[in-house]
Amino acid sequence: MESDYTYTEAELIQGLKARNQRVFGYLYDHYSPALYGVALKILNDENAAGDTLQEVFLKIWRNIDRYNEEKGRLFTWMLNITRNTAIDMLRSKAHRFEQKIQDVGDDVHLYTGHLAVYQSTDHLGLSKVLEKLNKEQRIIIDLSYYKGCTQEEISTILNIPLGTVKTRTRLAMIKLRNLLKTL
Amino acid sequence: MDVQRYISSGIIESYVVGLLPTQEAREVEQAIGLYPEVKAAVEACRQDMERYVQLHAITPPKGIRKRLMEVIENEDSPEGETLLPEELRDPVLEEDAPSAGFKLSIPRERIWQYALVLAVVLLIISLVMNVRYANRHKALKQQHEELISTHNKATADHQSLQSKLQHTEQELLLLKDPAFKWIRLSGNSKHAGQFATICWNPQSKEVYLLAQSLPEPAADQQYQLWAMVNGKPVDAGVFEMGPQRTALQKMKDLAAAQVFFITLEKKGGNASPTPDQLFVSGKVNG
Repeated sequence: MESDYTYTEAELIQGLKARNQRVFGYLYDHYSPALYGVALKILNDENAAGDTLQEVFLKIWRNIDRYNEEKGRLFTWMLNITRNTAIDMLRSKAHRFEQKIQDVGDDVHLYTGHLAVYQSTDHLGLSKVLEKLNKEQRIIIDLSYYKGCTQEEISTILNIPLGTVKTRTRLAMIKLRNLLKTL
Repeated sequence: MDVQRYISSGIIESYVVGLLPTQEAREVEQAIGLYPEVKAAVEACRQDMERYVQLHAITPPKGIRKRLMEVIENEDSPEGETLLPEELRDPVLEEDAPSAGFKLSIPRERIWQYALVLAVVLLIISLVMNVRYANRHKALKQQHEELISTHNKATADHQSLQSKLQHTEQELLLLKDPAFKWIRLSGNSKHAGQFATICWNPQSKEVYLLAQSLPEPAADQQYQLWAMVNGKPVDAGVFEMGPQRTALQKMKDLAAAQVFFITLEKKGGNASPTPDQLFVSGKVNG
């Protein structure tokens, strides 16, 4: 971190709107690991994730005037930009539905054996959470949030009726919340 | 609306993880605006999700920050503009929602436009060539017809010359043959200056006549050749005038004759000569 001053979210937004480059640097230093983690999880490719991260920060810088505080916090907005940009890139790379499932299979190995490959800032917490989530809960959260799967796709992958996808999603998130409390 | 039931239906969580189709997501956004409890539930769920996301945080490669700072420092210059992704250049056209596949439609239409223009150009070229070749075909056909008619004429000329040549060769043979006697018939008094020639072979009995300077008869009249055989006139046949006048004409065969003479008779000839119509006559020598 280059600056020891802590900005509030309101100050960040104001600074970005004022084209303050120091505020932009601070934003990058504080949020790039989380956004890069999202891009890398979606794309499974360090080069593509790096390109995505760069594009995301330029979008934040250029489009800060479109940010609407009533719709959510700044971080939520930045996460949505990251997810949409990375999922766009994933689709443009002609990844198909089967490829998404394949990626999840690969992820299972990553979680269990090779966490050190991704220099996670909190891989102990992550592995603790992932151990406790069952496969179905992990698939619902990861495939929908990180791969942009639809309800229909989740219903096909898990072989459950379309009508129960929402309730299973709720159960998965409740389980996740409880696990996060124990950290 | 039963807000609690709505919250516990799972729609909030589905919205936050991005499972909902556009229409349903819009309904949730409306509910957020209307019900503070819904807004709080969505916010709590987002924070859970964001804590989960933070667990995946990874420090990005070093170079990215430096490149970004360069881009935003130079963004107001034209060079800096080129460092931006295309969609972020002025005027700003940022699209938050995923939009894969949208960009392809315009170039694909262009391809059809180009193909159409090309097809029309090819059609025009083809039409021009067609007209040109049709004209050429017409000209060649005319030339071909002219050549055929020239050829036919040449063939006819050749045939007529061939027959003339044969005739001339035959006449030449008669001239060379010593067995033929040549008798000159000439006119007296009112027919003075008129003459014809007879060519007669007493052995083969052949008689040929060369009409020469006899005047043209009327259409219903014809000259007739006679021979005096032992004091009696013998018919030797009628002959043609006009173009045939300069050619040797074969007459009836005669075994004997002392005098040849020609009278003008009605067309087709008479059985006996008309005395006052005598034109030319000549004696056979020896």
